[in-house]
Amino acid sequence: MVHMQSEIKKIIIVGGGSAGWLTAGLIAAKHIKNSAANTLTNSVSITVIESPNIPTIGVGEGTWPSMRETLKTIGINEADLFTQCDASFKQASKFVHWENAPGTCDINHSAASAYFHPFSLPSGTTKLDLASYIGEQYSNSSQAQTFAQHVCFQSVLCEQNLAPKQITHKAYDYVANYGYHLNATKFAQLLKDHCLNKLGVEYLSSHITQINNDVEGDIASVTTDSVGIVAGDLFIDCSGAQSLLLAKHYQIPFCSKKSVLFNDSALAVQIPYDDDDAVIASSTVSTAQTAGWIWDIGLQSRRGVGHVYSSQHITDEKAEEELIEYIKSSTSAKQRQSLSIRKLSFEPGYYEKFWHRNCVAVGMSAGFIEPLEASALAMIEQAAKMISEQLPANKQTMKITAKRFNEKFSQHWQQIIEFLKLHYVLSKREDSSYWLANKESSSIPQSLHEMLELWQFQTPSSYDITQSTPLFPAASYQYVLYGMNFKTQPIRTANRDTKAIQRLLLDVQNKRQHLAKAMGSNRELINKIKQFGLSQI
Amino acid sequence: MTNHVLLNNIEHKDLKINLERSAQMGDNVWYTQTFPMEFRSAQAHYPILFQKDNGTGQITPVTLFGFENDNNLFLKNGKWDAAYIPLAVQRMPFYIGFQESTVDGVTEKNRVLTLDVESPKVNKTHGADLFLEYGGNSDYLEHIANVLEALHHGLQENSAFIEALTNCELLEAVTLDIELNDGSKNQLMGFYTINEDNLNSLSQYKLAKLHSQGYLQAIYMVIASQVHINDLVARKNTQIAL
Repeated sequence: MVHMQSEIKKIIIVGGGSAGWLTAGLIAAKHIKNSAANTLTNSVSITVIESPNIPTIGVGEGTWPSMRETLKTIGINEADLFTQCDASFKQASKFVHWENAPGTCDINHSAASAYFHPFSLPSGTTKLDLASYIGEQYSNSSQAQTFAQHVCFQSVLCEQNLAPKQITHKAYDYVANYGYHLNATKFAQLLKDHCLNKLGVEYLSSHITQINNDVEGDIASVTTDSVGIVAGDLFIDCSGAQSLLLAKHYQIPFCSKKSVLFNDSALAVQIPYDDDDAVIASSTVSTAQTAGWIWDIGLQSRRGVGHVYSSQHITDEKAEEELIEYIKSSTSAKQRQSLSIRKLSFEPGYYEKFWHRNCVAVGMSAGFIEPLEASALAMIEQAAKMISEQLPANKQTMKITAKRFNEKFSQHWQQIIEFLKLHYVLSKREDSSYWLANKESSSIPQSLHEMLELWQFQTPSSYDITQSTPLFPAASYQYVLYGMNFKTQPIRTANRDTKAIQRLLLDVQNKRQHLAKAMGSNRELINKIKQFGLSQI
Repeated sequence: MTNHVLLNNIEHKDLKINLERSAQMGDNVWYTQTFPMEFRSAQAHYPILFQKDNGTGQITPVTLFGFENDNNLFLKNGKWDAAYIPLAVQRMPFYIGFQESTVDGVTEKNRVLTLDVESPKVNKTHGADLFLEYGGNSDYLEHIANVLEALHHGLQENSAFIEALTNCELLEAVTLDIELNDGSKNQLMGFYTINEDNLNSLSQYKLAKLHSQGYLQAIYMVIASQVHINDLVARKNTQIAL
């Protein structure tokens, strides 16, 4: 017998920002029938409570391609990202000086100092496993081209900062898979406007002063300083690093991952371009430093640059020096004097569980890890999508959904952490205690140890990944592994359709040449989108 | 190469326009822009489809003359084999240019007639005169001026027309599968057409609105024009049989 009062009808989202508004948008798009008032016909209502006192953190400027599907689902007009959020196209992560420190490049292989992890899978992934073939070949000899250049046509767009689509493509369609670089604050504003004006989400601007449990221990309501008590059936914690409901209220323990991923601090700065026509990069550039790495994200009007580092291995002063050194070539001395550098500290890790009773955490309230593969927004999308698609009917079934959610997202966090750690473990850098400590066996999770052992003889495959819907497919491991010149040397040579593989490889090269001529620059396309929009058909 | 110059009766008084329609004269185009006011004339002879402009992504209606670049199936023995030639072809090699002039301190943009002097149609021996003996405009030039004027206003109407169509979700991508007598199968991609299912399920309100804008008639003319795709296939079959 199901009691009426246990039905999930009123959803309260605590906190705006990208997490709050993406979650509101995804749930509303699926469950709210008609934004034009008649709330009686709706089975659920969604209210976002945003504190006017707490600013959003406003970092998290890189998305995965999954954001296209998310925004399409929510009903965002893609062109609005470019007119309102300073957005640009992201097609890859580019890793610079991760394998070797600058100036110490191993001369035995002609390895470039940088490699790409593009968003497009290697050609023939589903049929011929080109990557395995090249991965093995790649290990045997010095190569004129990097792994990504061999197996993925998108590499050329990343190298030459060309756009992933043309003005004739409809919104969200492409030649090469892409996500976005964007201004996170403006992005949250765009989502907010859309949620309130188009999707029927309700909004309260008020500061939460108290959280009130019912007799069972579920959250019954929150008390605010200006709009009284707000009751709800499901509370979604999007309160950011303070984790107001999950950590502060429910005291769910935190699993620190500092022993695996050392970085716990960041210095962020914004650098305007010299002129309106400055090149906009197609990739997030991550340049390894002595005790961390520097991100470099090109938006339309500025770059966002930041140094993520381990406070155990470098002082804030020294970290700032490295950051200043990095931006020296692209700024004037005068500009550097007026820079405002923001310091952020974080504890890498995640909570023991994310969904507890009638409260689920999405975004930084669930955990945080350095943005090496820009996983933060992708995790928000995944969490919000599951909440929306598996929205429990009542509190009884919520227990089951919560259990599944917790299992799934614990796995996601573990995979992210292992995958990020892989970037450090593969490095040949020995120029600082940071890089040496990163390769110490005790800092490497057991399952990563095992995979590394297997990969000496076999290339990464779907067998390495236990989840049904992993955040990173085997291809991602291949891009990083062979981008860093890892050696896979199988003792048995498998039978292969070598002719078909050669054809496919040639096809990648032809496509690279064709696209280099056919595609315009990121800047060109963005200007056109701002002038003409993107068609829906 | 093109070289557009402002037309004047001194520099250009001896020029003639060759009226022959042929590949040599630059007429070998496989489609050209059109606009709702022209649909009535165009649909009698050509399929009307929609296409995106490569430079802007904006959708415009086009009349189709063939299935591939440099293959206009209406060119025959120096003539255009149809009773009506779309204005965007008729006007060649003339264009509308804009000139700024300042009168009493107010700067205005004026439309002016320009000529592509590099066009193979431009010569001094064959075809229609541009100017009369004492510098007046020839009937031909008057006609061209009217054509350009109609074209200018017609094309301006397109963006509102396309917006009305997209708002009602009446456009859809179409792939034309064309099988020729020689057994070859061809696909024509990159065009859009009217989504008739959506048109048929349009609300009365939306239908009435399209009608009041004068677009409903245009939409049905586009649909009616599709029969000419068969005519193009027949012309193509004749061409390959030669």
